[in-house]
Amino acid sequence: MSSDPYSAEVRALFAAPGHGGVLDDALCAAVEEQGVRISLFATVEEGIVTALRFQAWGCPHVIAAAEAFCAESEGHAASDLLEFSVSGLMQSLSVPVEKSGRILVLEDAVRSLGSIVRGASNY
Amino acid sequence: MTDRGQMIYLDYAASTPVDPWVVEAMTALMTADGNYSNPSSTHAAGRRSVEFIAHAAGQLASLLNTSADALVWTSGATESDNLAILGAAHYRRERGRHLITMRTEHKAVTDPFSELEKQGFEVTWLDPDANGLLDIETLRAAMREDTQLVSIMQVNNETGIIQDIQSIGALCRENDTLFHVDAAQSCGKLPIDLAALPVDLMSVTAHKMYGPKGIGALYIAARTGVHVEPLLFGGGQQRKLRPGTLPAQQIVGFGATAAIAQSRINDDFGHLTALRDRMWAGIRDIPGVTVNGDIANAFPGILNVSIEDIEGESLLLALEPLCVATGSACNSKSQEPSYVLRALGRSDALAQSAIRFSFGRPTTTTDVDVAIELYRNGVDKLRRLAPGRAA
Repeated sequence: MSSDPYSAEVRALFAAPGHGGVLDDALCAAVEEQGVRISLFATVEEGIVTALRFQAWGCPHVIAAAEAFCAESEGHAASDLLEFSVSGLMQSLSVPVEKSGRILVLEDAVRSLGSIVRGASNY
Repeated sequence: MTDRGQMIYLDYAASTPVDPWVVEAMTALMTADGNYSNPSSTHAAGRRSVEFIAHAAGQLASLLNTSADALVWTSGATESDNLAILGAAHYRRERGRHLITMRTEHKAVTDPFSELEKQGFEVTWLDPDANGLLDIETLRAAMREDTQLVSIMQVNNETGIIQDIQSIGALCRENDTLFHVDAAQSCGKLPIDLAALPVDLMSVTAHKMYGPKGIGALYIAARTGVHVEPLLFGGGQQRKLRPGTLPAQQIVGFGATAAIAQSRINDDFGHLTALRDRMWAGIRDIPGVTVNGDIANAFPGILNVSIEDIEGESLLLALEPLCVATGSACNSKSQEPSYVLRALGRSDALAQSAIRFSFGRPTTTTDVDVAIELYRNGVDKLRRLAPGRAA
């Protein structure tokens, strides 16, 4: 059993969060819960998410999960945002169960972004 | 140790490497061609072990300027603290059941006091001032006729704050109250003169001062009314205060550790002061950074800093390959902010962002320069990633 609290995936995502930052003229959702702050920025064209960026204040698992979400969701249907669940990320990043609440803040932020996108585009 | 791919150890307040000369001295008592015999045995080899132990006791006693007879060997500072606190409270329980300590003590002290509360003793938990120091008038106000024991550490393990144990001890003497000092962080690092200090019980350990883990000692002053009841029974060793076969090689290691510390205590202090000052000078201009404690009244081997609006766990990971301690008391399971820093009045967020840099003999200025760079870069990265607060 590893004594390292972080998986190799978390370490890599935390070390190089390529989607960290903001997008100009993008739709934005911000959530602050459980001591975690996440802002998501998205540009959408014809119902497809063309670019995602995030800002996050939280533990390494939160930052890694936000980076993983952005990397995986670009190019996907914007409508998927409303159905987003962190369960897959929890598993792939080996997030400890005691941090579930923090990672769920990402889920809230993504679904909030999905609502904003839907409201803006009426898809 | 300064290659970015290798760890840079700045956690000497947690533990230190064993001095090679100490290893050599210990090894001589462990192998078949050495003196491995049980010191309780009466044969010639056993008596030889006793001589080794007596020599080591003399070395530690010399460092502390006391008598070797006043020292009881233990497994480390935690056991010494338990023996001192539980043992003294029980020994004097017929005189009174009031005890005093501080909220900023190590768990090895606070937990025995909590245990005594469960046993019906009354404990007054003193708060420090904003810098971590105990106001002597606060202690005076807490003293009662039935106060039997005061326990205050000399150097705080998180902040490095040095308490005025001379004044505290003098007040205890006025009140006929025993005074215990946890010196785990100060023994071998600050001059300690037990012949002059009004201290009745002092806990020390080897592994914080370049000695082996698993060996410590409790000083018990040869003074009327100063005694502890044992926690362990069987064998009768050490005047029945702490029975069990004496680990001769550990004790010899502690003795050698003490001798080395005594010979270089001033050089070490100067080295640590230069490193601590260099570290602070390298990060003090970062907006929102603050020292936990008071550099003017702190042991220079420890620099504890917090920073506004930075998440501590992420900062710790961003600092790798630095090996430093965080302000979080436990691990990722709890993320409880340090109770010591909370007692200093730090907010949960500020306490959680705390990083304790602690320096040692092997630390170089290059190590410190790399630590400065990593800290600055880590803070910059996390601040760039962080969103503003919701309105």
